Amino acid sequence: MEQIQRKIMVTKIQKFCTHDGPGVRTTVFMKGCPLRCRWCHNPETHQAHREIYYNDRLCIGCGACIEQCRVDCHKTENGRHIYERSGCLSCGSCAASCPGGALECCGEEKNVEEIIGEVLKDKAFYGSKGGITISGGEPMADPQGAVAIMQAAKRAGLSTALETCGYFDAKWIPVLADCTDHFLWDIKDCHDPRHIKNTGVSNRRILENLTLLEQYGAEVTLRCIMLRGVNMDEYNLGGIASLFLRLNCCKEVELLPYHPFGDSKRKLLGLEEAQRQEWIPGGEEMEVAKQFLKACGVRVK
Amino acid sequence: MKTTFMTAADTARPIRLNENIRQWAWDSLHGKYGDEAMANFSVSVDNVAGFETLSETKKYDIAIRRIAEEAPLRICKEELVSGAATLGEAIHHVVPADYKGKGICSSVSHLTIAYERVLKYGLKDYEERIRKQLENREIQGRNREFLESLQNVVESIKIWHSRYLEAVRKVKPEIYTNLMQVPLAPARNFHEAVQAVWFIFSFVRLCGNWPGIGRIDALLGDYLKKDLESGALTLDRAREILASLFIKGCEWIQSDTPAGSGDAQHYQNIVLAGIDEDGKEITNEVTYLVLDIVEELGISDFPITVRLSSGTPEKLLRRVAEVMKHGGGVVAVYNEEVILKAMTDYGYSLKEARNFANDGCWEVQVPGKTNFSYHPFDSLRILHKEVLKDNTNSSFESFEELYQAYLLALREQTGRILEYEQQKFDNRNAPVSEWRWKESLPCSVVSLFEEDCIGRAASYYEGGAIYNVRSPHIGGAPDTVNSLYAIKKMVFEDKIVTLEELLACLRSNWENREALRLIAKNRYTYYGNDNDEVDELMARLVNDFAAICKELDGRCHINFPAGASTFGRQIEWREGRSATAFGAKKGEILSSNSSATPGTDNEGATALIKSYCKSDLSRMTTGCALDLKILPQVLRGEDGVEGLMGLMRGFLALGGFFMQIDTMDAATLLEAQKNPEKYKTLSVRISGWNARFVTLNEEWQNMIIERTSQGAI
Repeated sequence: MEQIQRKIMVTKIQKFCTHDGPGVRTTVFMKGCPLRCRWCHNPETHQAHREIYYNDRLCIGCGACIEQCRVDCHKTENGRHIYERSGCLSCGSCAASCPGGALECCGEEKNVEEIIGEVLKDKAFYGSKGGITISGGEPMADPQGAVAIMQAAKRAGLSTALETCGYFDAKWIPVLADCTDHFLWDIKDCHDPRHIKNTGVSNRRILENLTLLEQYGAEVTLRCIMLRGVNMDEYNLGGIASLFLRLNCCKEVELLPYHPFGDSKRKLLGLEEAQRQEWIPGGEEMEVAKQFLKACGVRVK
Repeated sequence: MKTTFMTAADTARPIRLNENIRQWAWDSLHGKYGDEAMANFSVSVDNVAGFETLSETKKYDIAIRRIAEEAPLRICKEELVSGAATLGEAIHHVVPADYKGKGICSSVSHLTIAYERVLKYGLKDYEERIRKQLENREIQGRNREFLESLQNVVESIKIWHSRYLEAVRKVKPEIYTNLMQVPLAPARNFHEAVQAVWFIFSFVRLCGNWPGIGRIDALLGDYLKKDLESGALTLDRAREILASLFIKGCEWIQSDTPAGSGDAQHYQNIVLAGIDEDGKEITNEVTYLVLDIVEELGISDFPITVRLSSGTPEKLLRRVAEVMKHGGGVVAVYNEEVILKAMTDYGYSLKEARNFANDGCWEVQVPGKTNFSYHPFDSLRILHKEVLKDNTNSSFESFEELYQAYLLALREQTGRILEYEQQKFDNRNAPVSEWRWKESLPCSVVSLFEEDCIGRAASYYEGGAIYNVRSPHIGGAPDTVNSLYAIKKMVFEDKIVTLEELLACLRSNWENREALRLIAKNRYTYYGNDNDEVDELMARLVNDFAAICKELDGRCHINFPAGASTFGRQIEWREGRSATAFGAKKGEILSSNSSATPGTDNEGATALIKSYCKSDLSRMTTGCALDLKILPQVLRGEDGVEGLMGLMRGFLALGGFFMQIDTMDAATLLEAQKNPEKYKTLSVRISGWNARFVTLNEEWQNMIIERTSQGAI
């Protein structure tokens, strides 16, 4: 009962997801992540707390937010609305009053029951394969929350998938394996010094957790982001291949080309743009990487 | 260079036909034969002495015979069945024969004619039945003239047939052999059966009519089965024969007409799969061959609808999804169980209902037995014009009072449609059973293949058809429901504005009230988002409208079942519509068919399907369509096929009626870039990343457009 009432910070519950595990799925994006990948495309999920999106293109200058704000973050200068983020409590009252949706809350607390209720709305579309995927951010940044969702989903008869960066306390592996049908396990880079430099943490724990998962008969898809000039070398690809070949739990590898669209949301959060065009791999480079893996005997999606 | 056919999918269309046939298809799809037809616009009857003094029927008879005698023949190098509708005026829905530069008669559409009898008994059987009827001396006057006109049609087909026989004798011996048999005598094998269907179809359309083809797999399946079993035919050869019908079916495409996007084109609809009269699933090799052909050639000129049910083979569901992925909305789906309930609830026998096909669009009918038309009207305009009196009448004390006033106006509108239809009868002072159909346009070509015109000695337009259906179609119901809901919430529940003030906003097109307009637009959840409160209002309107139609039914010799549609009329209707309470401005293009109002659905395809299915759609007897648009990136790879199958399963389980899925192309994204207000909610998704398209800056939008057009996302 205690778990049901637990509040989980969610940025979005997205219906009809076709690429987040088998079949048609509803994906729950949870907020909070222990990694800080330089290329992250969901920067709004870094912080575990609520944030405020501001899109100046939608602002009509009505001033409703100025009236609502308790700490004077909103003001008008030269007829233009200015949102000063320092001192903002992220209380969301400005967003609630904004008619045009220029200000929006990013992150909403929901309990497990509410989340499952929302996911069950689409049950008619799941068939025997589809169901719920939890993603983020890193769902396992809130392990109690993530596990509670998965267990409740299993009780509701849903297929469960977890998209994870793999960076969490190993003690959760048995309970997680028990309630998760599919793991979408991100491998950012097999080269550890680069991993540390680009994500802020070592990949050791991630790879150890994956190895540990092997004992529990889990079903894993390795998801690997491809960034030109960063991780598309034989060191990383060879590492991915050897993981695949060594671990029976790994059923296939999916290579995802980097795209810089995360910056669209960085701007809404008032963050510096961080991403780079030169990281985008070309179609041919992606094909070369795929062929490399295939030649090693990897099943590439 | 080898031909390639455009696709919205990330993989190329498969190649199964040989390059010569593909090249022929390419030419046909790009307007070669349509242009040729426009150059041979019509035949002339100027030299007929005393033409002007003849009856309309006799004029028609002369025109049909002249067409049969003089229409240019076309025999394409690759064709395996012969016959062609070569006169351009037929493309304009007119009998292509002129007297002194003027057309003689309009023609018929919105029906599927019956082909079974031609296949089974041959045209000789028709000739015989007409002859027998004429022996009955009690049949006189107009009825006799009609039977003679039918006789003229048979003779005309024979003239046209002998011209083709002569033309193909030396160049196409195989076709010659087939034409020696069909369509005059029964078809004996698959090739003859395809030839017979095509020959009749192409003659009917040569004379200006636009019939549907209907259940082609039910018609041809047994012939193919027999030929495959005996080894007379291989599946590849059968595909080539059937491809001829499809390629020739594109003969009316002209080089300057825009590519079809799932529109009804010339109503030559095809219905696949489903159960037969005895309840047995008919899906057979012909079903799959048709899907093969449209998948390979991207032909959208035969809009295909597949009858799905819980008994649909998994293999078929997958094939449908695979073809859908290529875009264009070429293959749509029916929910057979809901439609059978709709038709039997209305009063059709189960056996008859099980044969349903459509009118050439998606309105369901019993093929070969139905004279059908529909009357669409703008339900939103009724609200603003007649209930709110051009947005000046704010006298309503409660939402319920407003809703009841709306139903009253809806009943009046539906009553006007019935009155219009009743004008088609004579003897209206007598009891209804004695009402008689007025004289109408001659239409013997279609009547020949429509039951029971021969038996009743009456034309398709004058009571010859077994079922005469006029279906009032409520148009813009989602917009009306959203308007009512916005008023309910803002005025009567949240009380953030009075009705008087709100109507003033609508009169001024929301001038100087942008904040309130955005609140109306953004704060409430409208139809299409799986929100029970607003969806229940839609369900209520659907039930109430069906009840109004039912109450008015039975007041003349026509059936008056309800349906819902706009087709493209939301574009012309916008001029007559005011601003709306849910924040749309005057002149915006609002919902199509039963889909959500553009810009109000935030929750994606599954939520829209759920909203649509919450109404009892079996009350919409002739149909109500959901149009879905999905980004190609969502449908990438095998995941996309699974996704589409999931949507179809949900549509079936939840009780949908008709659904068409199109994949959004780069052009739509470009449109969204230009008009972000209208595409506010279009979300794009690339693996784990998601964002609303319009929130991206131009540079990012361009990148997505580029990736979408390359299928690289």
